[in-house]
Amino acid sequence: MSTRVLIVDDHAPFRTLARLLLTADGFDVVGEARDGAEAISAARVLEPEVVLLDVQLPDIDGFGVAEVLARDARAPTVVLVSSRSRGDYGSRVADCVARGFIAKAELSGDELRRVLGNEQRTAS
Amino acid sequence: VTGLGGGGRLVVGVGGLVSGVAAGAALLLGGYDVAPELVAPTLVLNLAVGWSFIGVGLIAWSRRPDNRTGVLMVLLGFAWLLRIAGAVAQPAWFVFGFVTSSLYLGVLAHLLVTFATGGITTPAQRALVVIGYLLTVPTTVLLLVLVARSGSCWDCPRNLVVVSRSSGSAVVLLRISVVGLVVTILLTATLLAVVLTQWWRAGRAQRRSMGPAVVGAVTILGTLVVQRIGVLLDFPPALSAGLAWSSQVVLVVWPLALLFGVLRSRLDRSAVSSMIVELGAGLAPDRLEVVLARTLHDPSLRLAFWLPEREAFVDSRGAPVALTPTSAGRALTYLDRDGARLAVLLHDAALAEDPELVSAVAAGAGMAVENERLHAEVRAQLRDVRESRARIVDAADAARRRVERDLHDGAQQRLVTVALALKLAGRRLGSAPAEEIAALLQETGDELLGALDELRELARGIYPVLLTDAGLGPAVIALAERSPIPAVVSTAPAERLPGPVEQTGYFVVSEALANAAKHSAAGRVAIDLQAGGGALIVEVSDDGVGGADANGSGLRGLADRVAAAGGSLRLTSPPGGGTQLIAELPMGLPVARP
Repeated sequence: MSTRVLIVDDHAPFRTLARLLLTADGFDVVGEARDGAEAISAARVLEPEVVLLDVQLPDIDGFGVAEVLARDARAPTVVLVSSRSRGDYGSRVADCVARGFIAKAELSGDELRRVLGNEQRTAS
Repeated sequence: VTGLGGGGRLVVGVGGLVSGVAAGAALLLGGYDVAPELVAPTLVLNLAVGWSFIGVGLIAWSRRPDNRTGVLMVLLGFAWLLRIAGAVAQPAWFVFGFVTSSLYLGVLAHLLVTFATGGITTPAQRALVVIGYLLTVPTTVLLLVLVARSGSCWDCPRNLVVVSRSSGSAVVLLRISVVGLVVTILLTATLLAVVLTQWWRAGRAQRRSMGPAVVGAVTILGTLVVQRIGVLLDFPPALSAGLAWSSQVVLVVWPLALLFGVLRSRLDRSAVSSMIVELGAGLAPDRLEVVLARTLHDPSLRLAFWLPEREAFVDSRGAPVALTPTSAGRALTYLDRDGARLAVLLHDAALAEDPELVSAVAAGAGMAVENERLHAEVRAQLRDVRESRARIVDAADAARRRVERDLHDGAQQRLVTVALALKLAGRRLGSAPAEEIAALLQETGDELLGALDELRELARGIYPVLLTDAGLGPAVIALAERSPIPAVVSTAPAERLPGPVEQTGYFVVSEALANAAKHSAAGRVAIDLQAGGGALIVEVSDDGVGGADANGSGLRGLADRVAAAGGSLRLTSPPGGGTQLIAELPMGLPVARP
């Protein structure tokens, strides 16, 4: 069974393309959200295994949303995405509860699997 | 009365002298038998009190014609001498002397109520003065009428002026009106309270000048209260006589204390001289205010300098000073030189009654004030430059943040979309229908064109290449063509101007157009640029709602930018009357104007 993913980004063209790309690469995109608040409620309803979370959101930023999601009973794995590079956020990505970070232009099913797999190996 | 000239005062002085001689004659030759040991002290003390008040009063009057104290002192002296008419041993003189015997106390009450203020200033003061006078001649006349009706007479006539141990009959007479006596005591006590209250409320400068007069007044009033209570309670005659003597002695010197209060500035010439010496020796910055405060005995004194360019007062550090002349107990004295305003002194209101001292100090400190004013002006400019420098740095930071955000939200997002779309097209190549791939590629092309547009717009916002290549005129015309509100350039210089002038002029037009688009709701903007006479005049006016705030961050930044180029900015924006912005940019060296 393919991994269930929720895509959170305020930029509609990105959500559409990310959904097409991840679906083509074998993921099951169960929903989309436009901001932090929508992301939190959608995650609780849809219970995805992975949340692809944009850092720059109109309300709460991605780091904040990740903190909230991590406290839920069935916390999803969070992967941050941004059109900025990982280095633009300094140590904030490493300090965050998120599993990893993907620059938006580099997004693909393989890249997402690599981040999820890598970190899982490190964690185990 | 106060308008009396020098000649008039001379007549009054001669009158006082003659009255004194007449009073002396009345005392010596009046016809009463006076104990030999009492003749000399009576004569000396009575003349001393009368002449002291008249003479010293005339001095105070001539030096301070606006102050009523001098006039009242002269009147008190005459009232004092008048009562000596009672020393002539004839019934008519006795009655006259008796009736006028307490008139001087009314004038004394008047003087006590008003010496601190120089005249009647409140209804309460007026009431006290009126009651004081009513207790003198009117009350005495009433008493005489009552006594005459009762048919009784005392061993009249007798000498009322000489204080002796056998003045028992006067005591009998006074007892008739215990009520009048009690009222007198109450009035005297009230006067004592008034004097002490005035002292308590006075500022430091005023206390200094009031001091001796207050001490004298308290002594006189205290003696009077005790003396009157003594009459009421029938003190031994020896004690009453002693009190009467002592109050007369105090009355001799009190005029000098009053004069000190009225003329204190005359005595303070020495303070002014030492100030001038101190100023001549050179002064550390900021010290002038301290020196002036010490010379004028007013620690609360503040000195503020006039900056004609900005039409405002600043302190020695160049910080703006708000002047509140209406605040109680404070007064302003402006210091001018050759008709030009230099500075203002904010001081204790008591000093305002002493304009000669203040102007002497101001004249003595003139050069130092002028120097200090220049210092303050430089500091104020430095302060302005520091503030505008900080604002310019802030504005530059804000502009860079805006560029980063515009890049991130615009072109960067579009390029991300292009990358993902191409990646997706690659995945689907072979499996998806050709139309789907074509649609993806079409989207890629559209996004790339959008990104290019945004990057171009952004680059032009950072620096307009047309300004560098073709100059201010073409750059402003291109700017007007892109304006969301129709904008017309009526005149623009065809020739090239100095770089900083072109850049600042362009910035003014660009900001004015951006503001008009954001706030004015205007239908049309007119742009006019006139170069000539060593300056570029940039004028941008719209027909919008007006009411623009010159201190808003946008216009503030524009003013800073114009000031940095040595120019000036003028905003006219009445509510409902459109907005007109005029910048004048000098085309010489771009330095700040002095």
